[in-house]
Amino acid sequence: MTGFAYLAALLVSIGAMALVDARWRLAFWRHPLAAACAVGAGTALLLVWDVVGIGFGVFYRGDSVWATGVLLAPELPIEEPVFLAFLCYLSLVVVLGVERLLASRHQIDDSAQAESRTGSSAGPADRGADAAPEVRA
Amino acid sequence: MTYLLICVPFLLASTVVAVISLRRMPAGTRARRVLALAIGAAILLVLTAVFDTVMIAAGLFGYAEGTRLGATIGLAPVEDFAYPIAAVLLVPAVWTLVASRRRGSHDPGSARPTAPAPAGSSS
Repeated sequence: MTGFAYLAALLVSIGAMALVDARWRLAFWRHPLAAACAVGAGTALLLVWDVVGIGFGVFYRGDSVWATGVLLAPELPIEEPVFLAFLCYLSLVVVLGVERLLASRHQIDDSAQAESRTGSSAGPADRGADAAPEVRA
Repeated sequence: MTYLLICVPFLLASTVVAVISLRRMPAGTRARRVLALAIGAAILLVLTAVFDTVMIAAGLFGYAEGTRLGATIGLAPVEDFAYPIAAVLLVPAVWTLVASRRRGSHDPGSARPTAPAPAGSSS
Protein backbone atom coordinates (compact mmCIF):
# COMPACT_ATOMS: atom_id res chain seq x y z
CA MET A 1 0.00 0.00 0.00
CA THR A 2 3.00 2.34 0.27
CA GLY A 3 2.63 2.82 -3.47
CA PHE A 4 -0.17 5.27 -2.83
CA ALA A 5 1.74 7.35 -0.26
CA TYR A 6 2.91 10.07 -2.67
CA LEU A 7 -0.46 10.40 -4.40
CA ALA A 8 -2.26 10.45 -1.05
CA ALA A 9 0.14 13.11 0.30
CA LEU A 10 -0.55 15.26 -2.76
CA LEU A 11 -4.32 14.92 -2.42
CA VAL A 12 -4.21 15.71 1.31
CA SER A 13 -2.06 18.78 0.52
CA ILE A 14 -4.55 19.93 -2.11
CA GLY A 15 -7.36 19.43 0.41
CA ALA A 16 -5.50 21.49 3.02
CA MET A 17 -4.92 24.21 0.44
CA ALA A 18 -8.66 24.22 -0.31
CA LEU A 19 -9.40 24.70 3.39
CA VAL A 20 -7.14 27.76 3.47
CA ASP A 21 -8.76 28.99 0.26
CA ALA A 22 -12.27 28.52 1.67
CA ARG A 23 -11.47 30.05 5.04
CA TRP A 24 -10.11 33.29 3.59
CA ARG A 25 -11.96 33.21 0.24
CA LEU A 26 -8.78 33.68 -1.76
CA ALA A 27 -9.10 31.89 -5.10
CA PHE A 28 -11.81 29.29 -5.92
CA TRP A 29 -14.00 30.72 -3.16
CA ARG A 30 -13.61 34.24 -4.54
CA HIS A 31 -13.82 33.71 -8.28
CA PRO A 32 -14.20 30.02 -9.21
CA LEU A 33 -13.96 30.52 -12.98
CA ALA A 34 -10.78 32.59 -12.70
CA ALA A 35 -9.23 30.06 -10.31
CA ALA A 36 -10.10 27.13 -12.58
CA CYS A 37 -8.65 28.90 -15.63
CA ALA A 38 -5.51 29.89 -13.72
CA VAL A 39 -4.76 26.46 -12.22
CA GLY A 40 -5.70 24.78 -15.51
CA ALA A 41 -3.43 27.01 -17.60
CA GLY A 42 -0.56 26.66 -15.12
CA THR A 43 -0.85 22.88 -14.92
CA ALA A 44 -1.00 22.63 -18.73
CA LEU A 45 2.12 24.76 -19.18
CA LEU A 46 4.13 22.84 -16.57
CA LEU A 47 2.95 19.52 -18.01
CA VAL A 48 4.11 20.50 -21.50
CA TRP A 49 7.41 21.57 -19.90
CA ASP A 50 7.72 18.09 -18.33
CA VAL A 51 6.93 16.36 -21.61
CA VAL A 52 9.56 18.43 -23.42
CA GLY A 53 12.07 17.57 -20.66
CA ILE A 54 11.22 13.89 -20.95
CA GLY A 55 11.52 14.17 -24.74
CA PHE A 56 15.05 15.54 -24.39
CA GLY A 57 15.89 12.80 -21.91
CA VAL A 58 16.37 15.16 -18.95
CA PHE A 59 13.96 13.47 -16.51
CA TYR A 60 13.18 9.89 -15.79
CA ARG A 61 10.77 8.31 -13.40
CA GLY A 62 12.34 6.81 -10.30
CA ASP A 63 11.37 3.34 -9.12
CA SER A 64 10.13 4.64 -5.82
CA VAL A 65 8.21 2.47 -3.38
CA TRP A 66 6.10 5.57 -2.63
CA ALA A 67 4.72 5.89 -6.17
CA THR A 68 1.92 3.88 -7.75
CA GLY A 69 3.98 3.10 -10.84
CA VAL A 70 0.99 3.93 -13.04
CA LEU A 71 2.17 5.87 -16.10
CA LEU A 72 0.23 8.31 -18.30
CA ALA A 73 3.04 8.24 -20.88
CA PRO A 74 6.60 6.91 -20.88
CA GLU A 75 8.41 8.37 -17.80
CA LEU A 76 5.29 10.42 -16.88
CA PRO A 77 3.67 9.01 -13.73
CA ILE A 78 0.04 9.64 -12.89
CA GLU A 79 1.19 11.62 -9.83
CA GLU A 80 2.91 14.29 -11.94
CA PRO A 81 -0.14 16.29 -13.13
CA VAL A 82 -1.52 16.11 -9.58
CA PHE A 83 1.74 17.52 -8.26
CA LEU A 84 1.77 20.27 -10.90
CA ALA A 85 -1.84 21.23 -10.13
CA PHE A 86 -0.91 21.40 -6.44
CA LEU A 87 2.10 23.62 -7.22
CA CYS A 88 -0.13 25.97 -9.25
CA TYR A 89 -2.86 26.07 -6.60
CA LEU A 90 -0.23 26.74 -3.92
CA SER A 91 1.24 29.60 -5.97
CA LEU A 92 -2.21 31.13 -6.41
CA VAL A 93 -3.18 30.87 -2.75
CA VAL A 94 0.20 32.17 -1.54
CA VAL A 95 0.25 35.20 -3.87
CA LEU A 96 -3.41 36.14 -3.32
CA GLY A 97 -3.01 35.51 0.42
CA VAL A 98 0.07 37.73 0.70
CA GLU A 99 -1.75 40.33 -1.38
CA ARG A 100 -4.68 40.21 1.07
CA LEU A 101 -2.30 40.69 4.00
CA LEU A 102 -0.62 43.65 2.30
CA ALA A 103 -4.01 45.19 1.47
CA SER A 104 -5.30 44.88 5.02
CA ARG A 105 -2.14 46.52 6.33
CA HIS A 106 -2.01 49.42 3.93
CA GLN A 107 -5.74 49.93 3.48
CA ILE A 108 -5.42 50.93 -0.13
CA ASP A 109 -8.67 52.67 -1.11
CA ASP A 110 -8.37 51.41 -4.63
CA SER A 111 -8.94 47.75 -3.76
CA ALA A 112 -11.48 48.49 -1.02
CA GLN A 113 -13.66 50.15 -3.65
CA ALA A 114 -13.25 47.34 -6.14
CA GLU A 115 -13.92 44.63 -3.55
CA SER A 116 -17.02 46.21 -2.05
CA ARG A 117 -18.51 46.74 -5.49
CA THR A 118 -18.21 43.06 -6.40
CA GLY A 119 -20.42 41.98 -3.55
CA SER A 120 -20.41 40.19 -0.26
CA SER A 121 -17.87 37.50 -1.13
CA ALA A 122 -14.80 39.61 -0.55
CA GLY A 123 -13.73 38.47 2.91
CA PRO A 124 -12.49 39.81 6.24
CA ALA A 125 -11.21 43.12 4.85
CA ASP A 126 -14.74 44.01 3.85
CA ARG A 127 -16.30 42.94 7.10
CA GLY A 128 -14.11 45.53 8.74
CA ALA A 129 -15.51 48.15 6.42
CA ASP A 130 -19.09 47.04 7.12
CA ALA A 131 -18.53 47.34 10.84
CA ALA A 132 -17.03 50.81 10.55
CA PRO A 133 -20.17 53.01 10.18
CA GLU A 134 -21.30 52.55 13.75
CA VAL A 135 -18.14 54.23 14.99
CA ARG A 136 -18.84 57.57 13.35
CA ALA A 137 -22.38 58.71 13.97
CA MET B 1 22.75 22.88 -20.45
CA THR B 2 19.81 21.05 -22.06
CA TYR B 3 17.56 21.40 -19.03
CA LEU B 4 18.32 25.13 -18.67
CA LEU B 5 17.55 25.80 -22.34
CA ILE B 6 14.24 23.93 -22.03
CA CYS B 7 13.28 26.27 -19.16
CA VAL B 8 13.78 29.47 -21.17
CA PRO B 9 10.66 29.49 -23.40
CA PHE B 10 8.37 28.51 -20.51
CA LEU B 11 9.78 31.22 -18.24
CA LEU B 12 9.42 33.75 -21.06
CA ALA B 13 5.79 32.79 -21.72
CA SER B 14 4.95 33.10 -18.02
CA THR B 15 6.70 36.47 -17.81
CA VAL B 16 4.76 37.81 -20.80
CA VAL B 17 1.40 36.86 -19.22
CA ALA B 18 2.49 38.37 -15.88
CA VAL B 19 3.48 41.65 -17.57
CA ILE B 20 0.18 41.80 -19.49
CA SER B 21 -1.83 41.38 -16.27
CA LEU B 22 0.30 43.92 -14.39
CA ARG B 23 -0.07 46.54 -17.11
CA ARG B 24 -3.85 46.35 -16.85
CA MET B 25 -3.84 47.14 -13.13
CA PRO B 26 -4.14 50.60 -11.60
CA ALA B 27 -0.81 51.76 -10.13
CA GLY B 28 -1.61 51.04 -6.45
CA THR B 29 -2.91 47.53 -7.15
CA ARG B 30 0.09 46.84 -9.38
CA ALA B 31 2.63 47.85 -6.72
CA ARG B 32 0.93 45.59 -4.20
CA ARG B 33 0.82 42.68 -6.66
CA VAL B 34 4.52 43.05 -7.51
CA LEU B 35 5.38 42.90 -3.80
CA ALA B 36 3.06 39.90 -3.31
CA LEU B 37 4.74 38.13 -6.26
CA ALA B 38 8.20 38.75 -4.80
CA ILE B 39 7.22 37.47 -1.35
CA GLY B 40 5.26 34.57 -2.87
CA ALA B 41 8.23 33.59 -5.05
CA ALA B 42 10.55 33.63 -2.02
CA ILE B 43 8.18 31.34 -0.09
CA LEU B 44 7.81 28.97 -3.06
CA LEU B 45 11.59 28.82 -3.60
CA VAL B 46 12.20 27.80 0.02
CA LEU B 47 9.44 25.16 -0.16
CA THR B 48 10.92 23.87 -3.43
CA ALA B 49 14.39 23.54 -1.91
CA VAL B 50 12.93 21.47 0.95
CA PHE B 51 10.33 19.35 -0.84
CA ASP B 52 12.21 18.81 -4.10
CA THR B 53 15.06 17.44 -2.00
CA VAL B 54 12.65 15.14 -0.15
CA MET B 55 11.05 13.96 -3.40
CA ILE B 56 14.40 13.26 -5.05
CA ALA B 57 15.64 11.47 -1.91
CA ALA B 58 12.46 9.36 -1.99
CA GLY B 59 13.42 8.26 -5.49
CA LEU B 60 10.28 9.67 -7.14
CA PHE B 61 12.26 10.95 -10.11
CA GLY B 62 15.79 11.44 -11.34
CA TYR B 63 17.79 13.35 -13.91
CA ALA B 64 19.92 12.04 -16.73
CA GLU B 65 23.66 12.72 -16.55
CA GLY B 66 25.00 15.57 -18.65
CA THR B 67 21.73 17.49 -19.06
CA ARG B 68 22.08 19.70 -15.98
CA LEU B 69 24.37 22.57 -15.02
CA GLY B 70 25.32 20.56 -11.95
CA ALA B 71 24.65 23.12 -9.21
CA THR B 72 22.09 22.01 -6.62
CA ILE B 73 20.39 23.41 -3.54
CA GLY B 74 19.93 20.46 -1.25
CA LEU B 75 19.42 17.73 -3.82
CA ALA B 76 17.38 20.00 -6.11
CA PRO B 77 19.06 21.05 -9.36
CA VAL B 78 18.97 24.84 -9.75
CA GLU B 79 16.95 24.46 -12.97
CA ASP B 80 14.07 22.96 -10.95
CA PHE B 81 13.51 26.34 -9.34
CA ALA B 82 12.27 27.63 -12.69
CA TYR B 83 9.03 25.68 -12.14
CA PRO B 84 7.82 27.57 -9.04
CA ILE B 85 8.97 30.88 -10.57
CA ALA B 86 6.92 30.21 -13.70
CA ALA B 87 3.93 29.14 -11.59
CA VAL B 88 4.08 32.31 -9.47
CA LEU B 89 4.31 34.47 -12.60
CA LEU B 90 1.63 32.72 -14.66
CA VAL B 91 -1.10 31.45 -12.32
CA PRO B 92 -2.05 34.62 -10.38
CA ALA B 93 -1.78 36.58 -13.64
CA VAL B 94 -4.34 34.35 -15.38
CA TRP B 95 -6.56 34.53 -12.29
CA THR B 96 -6.52 38.33 -12.39
CA LEU B 97 -7.05 38.54 -16.16
CA VAL B 98 -10.14 36.30 -15.98
CA ALA B 99 -11.49 37.82 -12.74
CA SER B 100 -11.13 41.42 -13.89
CA ARG B 101 -12.65 40.63 -17.27
CA ARG B 102 -15.81 39.47 -15.50
CA ARG B 103 -15.70 42.24 -12.95
CA GLY B 104 -15.16 44.82 -15.68
CA SER B 105 -18.73 44.41 -16.93
CA HIS B 106 -20.09 45.33 -13.47
CA ASP B 107 -17.59 47.95 -12.48
CA PRO B 108 -15.53 49.56 -15.23
CA GLY B 109 -13.57 51.51 -12.63
CA SER B 110 -11.83 48.50 -11.10
CA ALA B 111 -10.42 47.04 -14.30
CA ARG B 112 -9.51 49.74 -16.75
CA PRO B 113 -10.34 48.61 -20.28
CA THR B 114 -7.60 49.26 -22.83
CA ALA B 115 -9.95 50.89 -25.32
CA PRO B 116 -12.07 53.86 -24.26
CA ALA B 117 -15.83 53.39 -23.93
CA PRO B 118 -17.91 53.45 -27.15
CA ALA B 119 -18.39 57.24 -27.53
CA GLY B 120 -17.99 57.84 -31.30
CA SER B 121 -16.96 54.31 -32.23
CA SER B 122 -15.00 54.16 -35.44
CA SER B 123 -15.89 51.27 -37.70
